Amino acid sequence: MPNTITAIEACIPALRRYARALLRHAQDADDLVQETLLRALEGLRTRHQDGEVRPWLFAIMHNQFISHRRKAKVRRDDAERDPAGLAVIGLDAHAVRGRQEDGLHWQDFVRAFDSIPEDQQAVLLLVSVEDLSYAEVSQVLAIPIGTVMSRLARGRERLRGLTAADAGTSLLRRVK
Amino acid sequence: MSSESRPVGEDELHAYVDNQLDAWRRVEVERYLAAHPAVAQRVNADLQQRALLREAFMRDDDEPLAARLNLASLIEQRMVQRRFPWRAAAAVLLAVSLGAAAGAAGGMWFAGRPIGPFMTLAADTAASYAVYSADKRRPVELWAAQREDLNRWVSNRLNRPVAAPDLAAFDYQFLGGRLVPTARGPGALFMYENHQGGRLVLLVRRMALSRTTQIEQVDIGGMPGCAWSEGEMGYGMVGEEPYGRLLEVSGKVRSQLRG
Repeated sequence: MPNTITAIEACIPALRRYARALLRHAQDADDLVQETLLRALEGLRTRHQDGEVRPWLFAIMHNQFISHRRKAKVRRDDAERDPAGLAVIGLDAHAVRGRQEDGLHWQDFVRAFDSIPEDQQAVLLLVSVEDLSYAEVSQVLAIPIGTVMSRLARGRERLRGLTAADAGTSLLRRVK
Repeated sequence: MSSESRPVGEDELHAYVDNQLDAWRRVEVERYLAAHPAVAQRVNADLQQRALLREAFMRDDDEPLAARLNLASLIEQRMVQRRFPWRAAAAVLLAVSLGAAAGAAGGMWFAGRPIGPFMTLAADTAASYAVYSADKRRPVELWAAQREDLNRWVSNRLNRPVAAPDLAAFDYQFLGGRLVPTARGPGALFMYENHQGGRLVLLVRRMALSRTTQIEQVDIGGMPGCAWSEGEMGYGMVGEEPYGRLLEVSGKVRSQLRG
């Protein structure tokens, strides 16, 4: 058990990163991480001892995220009433943009990324940013591995199309 | 030439991008890409995507974690809750009434609970209450006799005048206080005790957004509590009292602090 606790602790930064990528809101993301940790502590005793801690935690977080999504409308209404809930961090449209460098900017890229379907985003984040194996992603999202691969392929294909167009425009802007 | 290798499948190209191939197969895929420039171009675009995704979402990694994500204190809260079964029972009751299956977790968060305006403040207040009001011998760092020292100390750290209110009219004697960590930096914790030994705490700390609100009922660690905001400062209060009584006390606190 002490080992599991240490392993959970080591995952907290990654959990926060994934939560922020999903929610784009620092407080909401921390809420999601905190809830995940409390659920993990609650579930420690019934957990299979031999399983990997990381996918287990991400699966808990994913389930929480989905259940909040179902209540998303309620939350949006709340946020409208309460401007404090709208303090968006880091990756929002008003983020200070770095100086324009050659090639595609991560800000432009995030905009493209936001336009692809959410289930493809989740797979791309878990694979590319969190370095989970395809088998682990299938465990986290509770979908067959074939579905993981097809979402990954479709997500990447769409991003390729979108960013190729983007790179083209920024090239034009530079030439001009 | 790559003619003798196994054919390279679509999934393997992704596995190549994601570093999920063994070294042997990796070499074979690289040989295949060298012979198929159009495929190689696509794989390169995917590699760039992967790098941009990592750049975008890993850039906040260095930011310190919020105090409420500290695993040790989350575990501690759970232990405090076990030592006070009546509190856990109250949490379960509330969870059941909310229709949450395993909502008793930690008591300070319930599944699917809408995210309210004072959620973080409530969590900070719950953490301080759970840890310090349960401490029989040393619930505060500076006692009532050192009230002036305490006020000066927390005012310096919060960078604005903060003074412990007087709640004697409600049968709550000032016990003392301390500086506590919160999601928004240092917080001032004031503790009071009534004749039955029941404790009540008031947490004062900065808010992310400056605004003045009404006193609202919030769930503080599975107990009813009060929270409000006055300019850039936030106030959270909880004790073993029904909400109506807390609301009365909070109103008094507010008018004293406005003084």
